[in-house]
Amino acid sequence: MSNKTILSVPLRRGLVMALCLGLSMPALAIPAFARKYGLRCTACHESWPVLNDFGRNFRDNGYQLRLGKDDVVTANPGYWPVAVHITPHYEYTSLTNQTTDQGKKTLKSGGIADASMDLLTAGTLTKDISFLVVPTGFASDGAVSLESYWASFSRVLGTDWLNIRVGKHEVDLPASPHRGISLASSYLVYDYHPGPSDNVASAFGLSVNQRGLEVTGHDRGSTLRYSASIFSANDSLGSRHGLSSPSVYGHVQKYFQLDSDSVSQVALGVWGAYANYPTSSLTSGGVPIPGTGSDLRSSTRYGLEAQAWLFHAAAPLHLNLVYGHGSDNKDLYLGAADRNGTWNGGFLEAIWVPAVDFLQLGLFARYDFIRNQNQPVSGTARTYNDQDQTTVGVRHTIAYSNRDEVGFHLEYSTLRAKGVADDGSGVRASTLFLGVDFLY
Amino acid sequence: MTNRAWRLVGIPLIGLGCAAGVAAGEPAANVHQGKLVYERYCMSCHGEKGDGQGEFAEWISPKPRDYRQGTYKWRSTPSDSLPTDDDLERVLTNGLYGTYMPTWYAIGRRQRRDVIAYIKTFSPRFATEKPAAPITIPTEPLYSDESVKRGRATYTKFKCSQCHGEQGQGDGPSSHELKDDWGNPMVPYDLTQGHVKCGDTGADIYRVFITGLSGTPMPSFADSVSPAEAWDLVHFIQSLSPGYKKNLAAAPRGSQ
Repeated sequence: MSNKTILSVPLRRGLVMALCLGLSMPALAIPAFARKYGLRCTACHESWPVLNDFGRNFRDNGYQLRLGKDDVVTANPGYWPVAVHITPHYEYTSLTNQTTDQGKKTLKSGGIADASMDLLTAGTLTKDISFLVVPTGFASDGAVSLESYWASFSRVLGTDWLNIRVGKHEVDLPASPHRGISLASSYLVYDYHPGPSDNVASAFGLSVNQRGLEVTGHDRGSTLRYSASIFSANDSLGSRHGLSSPSVYGHVQKYFQLDSDSVSQVALGVWGAYANYPTSSLTSGGVPIPGTGSDLRSSTRYGLEAQAWLFHAAAPLHLNLVYGHGSDNKDLYLGAADRNGTWNGGFLEAIWVPAVDFLQLGLFARYDFIRNQNQPVSGTARTYNDQDQTTVGVRHTIAYSNRDEVGFHLEYSTLRAKGVADDGSGVRASTLFLGVDFLY
Repeated sequence: MTNRAWRLVGIPLIGLGCAAGVAAGEPAANVHQGKLVYERYCMSCHGEKGDGQGEFAEWISPKPRDYRQGTYKWRSTPSDSLPTDDDLERVLTNGLYGTYMPTWYAIGRRQRRDVIAYIKTFSPRFATEKPAAPITIPTEPLYSDESVKRGRATYTKFKCSQCHGEQGQGDGPSSHELKDDWGNPMVPYDLTQGHVKCGDTGADIYRVFITGLSGTPMPSFADSVSPAEAWDLVHFIQSLSPGYKKNLAAAPRGSQ
């Protein structure tokens, strides 16, 4: 029996996909850089793989330290810009209120998961030109895809305020889903669509890497930074427009480093996206012909972020609050939508690195929420598919070096969605994750 | 819920930051926190005990500083004196070009100050001595072809070419025999790179002549070179590479 018949239909994108996204995102911590420069993982990551100030500045500088050792011909000849990341893990999931031939059931399943592997290849091609290519997959289904690939040109016109990246890239989100500390849950706010999930023509997801061009800039310490991406939105049928599904994303952040024992840093930011998808196309035998789409309609996302690092910056309690609003044009819904779908969402994430020797412990918790505002089908209950997700976890890194990283990862996440079961009741999806995360 | 959540959490979060920013004075450097900073950023090269024997040290040259002796190259203080906190801060802020010591500008002043306090605990000298007063760097005279010419003569007079080579490329006759105080082979700096490890301004280069680089074969010329000669030498070095031109733009100049 296929998933489609077992699971409540709305879960397919809104719930299950959200969980899967969290599990399938390659984590962009790259030990090849640690090997190249002789730095521990902790130099760039506040708690792996979340970047700290130094790591953010290193990334903004095109993965360069700019001390004459960046170019491949000046680096140690033994340096090879490839790293491997995999997380063998046990996973137990439960999904309530599922319709089966035997009645409404809670589906439970556990076991060693079929983990995928990330090949993280990234580095500097020559001074101020860097690259990243990430093949990911290699699980038992044999599928491999290029999750990301780009070339980046730093200090265009000799200034840090103009850097250009071309290729399939992660847009500069307030909290990176590709560098999230959670391995079992995703940030709901980035990819949510209101309404019955199989009625949505736009698959726009901010956490998904986009194919296009990104312009970024920053000051010396990356305390003031911006990014602007122009791209063809992911998973689009494609249109006759020059950029197929022309879309833009922008983000501005300002960090305030404070000389205080209680609050070491605060950051504020704004972000927004405007993505277009075709709503009609030529067909062949009734099947849409790729690249012939027309009648573009938009999805918009925008919001604010506020971050605070409590206690000392070397061992902080990092709070990250992101709040966003989303809107999908009614024509993007394939069914009987009679108005735009709108919603609000966000999360509050806390990552705590206790001030113990060698900073090997990371504790984290996150609360995500989605609150629908206008359902695209006006007869639908306003709270339909409102979501609440709570995630807690601990990560104990037993080896941090300039060559590799090994950590035990324990996490529990539970997501509750209102009214999405076939009988109108709520559904709860829970995941227990226990794994050994290593990269080298 | 959403708007309420924003009011309950978001606004206080921002307010917390603003309040902390307003209330913040400059707390004293914290050695305990500095240890965490050290473990996070420094230990892989400088070692847990500050002995320069971190896990990466074996593979790199020049070797990371052994902090236990309290001997530092990049100072504003006279030869063999301890460095000032500002000296250490300058190295952390700018990094050392051509080595594996990066710039730690991005981590912020607080973390730099705390780790400096911790680094000083590795050497007993800091408990019993104070750094000598920084040297005085006189106002830079005009950069000119004449001062470059005089600097060339000074370079010859003080036999700089013995280590740094006739053309300043670090290939003088003694260049293969040099070792530091720990017995590690030393390579004289190639002055034609257009960068100097400790900073690229004229004052940065001047400072090296006067203070010397403690623990290395680079001596102090404080007792033998006059300020005018030292500045001529600075200008001669700056003439060796177009890479220095960006610094010349900020320097007083006569002719090019």
